[in-house]
Amino acid sequence: MLELSDNPGVILLLGAFIIIALPTIMRRPAMLLITGFSAMRLMGMEVGDQTVLSLFGLDLTPMKFDVLSRLFLIVFHIAVTLNIIYSWGVKNATECWASLAYPAAAMGGVLAGDWITLFIWWELAALTSVFLVWQPRTRETYLAGMRYMVIQIASGVLLLGGIVILFRQSGALAIGALDLRDPSGLFNPAALMLFIAIGVKSAFPLLHNWVQDSYPKSTLGGTIILSVFTTKLAVYLMARVFAGTPELIWIGAVMTIFPIFFALIENDLRKVLSYSINNQVGFMLTGIGFGTAASMNGAVGYAFSNIIFESLLFMSVGAAMYRTGTSKATELGGLYRTMPLTLMFCLIGALSISAFPGFAGFVTKGLILDGAAEGHNFIIWLILLFASAGVLEHAGIKIPYFTFFAHDSGKRPKEAPPMMLIAMGLSAVLSVGIGLYPEPLFNLLPYQEQIADYHPYSAYHIVEQLQLLLFAVLAFALLIKFKLYPPEVPSTNLDFDWLYRVPGRALLFKIVSLIVSLWRWLWGGAQEVVTRVMARTHRTHGPEGTLARNWPVGFMALWTAVVLAVALVFLYWVA
Amino acid sequence: MSHHSPEDKKNIGWADHPAFVRGFLWFLYLSCAAALVAGFFWQKEHPHFAVETVPVFFAGFGFVMFSLIVLVGQHLRKLVGRPENYYQERE
Repeated sequence: MLELSDNPGVILLLGAFIIIALPTIMRRPAMLLITGFSAMRLMGMEVGDQTVLSLFGLDLTPMKFDVLSRLFLIVFHIAVTLNIIYSWGVKNATECWASLAYPAAAMGGVLAGDWITLFIWWELAALTSVFLVWQPRTRETYLAGMRYMVIQIASGVLLLGGIVILFRQSGALAIGALDLRDPSGLFNPAALMLFIAIGVKSAFPLLHNWVQDSYPKSTLGGTIILSVFTTKLAVYLMARVFAGTPELIWIGAVMTIFPIFFALIENDLRKVLSYSINNQVGFMLTGIGFGTAASMNGAVGYAFSNIIFESLLFMSVGAAMYRTGTSKATELGGLYRTMPLTLMFCLIGALSISAFPGFAGFVTKGLILDGAAEGHNFIIWLILLFASAGVLEHAGIKIPYFTFFAHDSGKRPKEAPPMMLIAMGLSAVLSVGIGLYPEPLFNLLPYQEQIADYHPYSAYHIVEQLQLLLFAVLAFALLIKFKLYPPEVPSTNLDFDWLYRVPGRALLFKIVSLIVSLWRWLWGGAQEVVTRVMARTHRTHGPEGTLARNWPVGFMALWTAVVLAVALVFLYWVA
Repeated sequence: MSHHSPEDKKNIGWADHPAFVRGFLWFLYLSCAAALVAGFFWQKEHPHFAVETVPVFFAGFGFVMFSLIVLVGQHLRKLVGRPENYYQERE
């Protein structure tokens, strides 16, 4: 039986309100203490623990702790801790509050055992995270935050709709595996709505732009914390509800490919990493779509390590931005001279995300590809290999190369501040640690029998991965040598969000102005009618009107006598 | 660095030093060669696809696909590239 005080969602949410009441100097240490306390409560939980609650005749499970939620709660705690350290210098109340409240909502969602509880945390995650988008307080971030809110709330509405239909279908609210299609092959409307709701938060293709639109506009720490929670909460739910859904295989595969090209031509390195989030989540969703023991272990294990090395990449670009004021490739370059430690950590993140043997990405990514191989799905297997070369391009090479090498920007900033270095150092240690000694991570995976037989460091696995990556690096070196690698250019690259940001916006304004004209026409017409009625009434009943003219008293007396006479005759005749 | 005044030569970073660049490239060439040769010795015992039995498949695939991504992908810029303040002007 879990108590309310065990729920990291509750602990961190309460903590978020406590810290804003504290003096600024105590905020970060208090955040660390609160997260530490929450982690201690988490360690006390046993797999299988849950809380059951009956409310208005509904059986709810506000907390359900199992193998899957354990893995995500652990890595979420790690991510929060790293971010608190990284952003140690930020004492701003709003950012500190959101940096605890938003992860709290995501953790509450992970622990939720029923859809109603999940919905509450789901909406809370949207409402708390938007403050991180708004935090730089410019018109640009305000507009991006509003767009972000619209999409997040739309996902919440879809979720609620799905829950209502599901409840009417089955009368049950427990979160469990669902089939996207009926036995007849038609989509089940409840499952479809839930699938799309979670899909919006996983940033499905064409529903993905909220990530690139909002994340790179936040503060340095805000971007890192945003990059972790929403999409990974969605991955967790997909694993819980839609494991083995074939549609996810293709959706995930498409997600691994298209961001590669947008990341290639993107100048803002934080935006490159936002595209990288799409690509990485694509690998996870493909693994979940296969639904085999190997691919599921691979997907959630990859989510765990990705949170760490993706944060590390965001942190190193953030550190360069902290010192130089920019994250644009055209304005960076040559920083290796004065930021060697940041460079080293960035390279570890880059090697990890590229899945070089010895680093975190390597030990779990192979499992996802094995899922494709076991299913004899050659096309998907090739797509995933292709996407692996793409990851190396934009996250493995482009990020460190354009930040620290490439053309010399002439900037000679100081090394990153100590707390940033500590946070990056810890992430780097974890990335290498998971790579060299993956057993503790493997012990957290859901399918233990499968993982017991898995040996990532088999000779052929190392050889094939090294061939793929080293020859891709060779291609890069030759492209640079022969000046075939495209130079970075400052630009805005249109993506699908252009549709709702330019023509969609124009259409919206057109519709609004049409409604305004219609209203004016209706209201104006009504006003005219009223004015006419008033004028006519005034004509007849006004001081000069026909009905307001004066009558002599004698005329009145005569009429009274006539009425009386008529009444007399009538009564006499009736009686 | 285009001009090489004595001052510049003194300030040249270690990664821009021709010796380092040469060393790095040689290290890369040798590693690639080693990985290529290793492909002939270690292969999957139970391959799922025929291509996995080709000793140099992964090397060739990595090289070609990376080059394709860069050489083809950059043309996407012509289609979607706009001035930097594109959205600021419209919102």
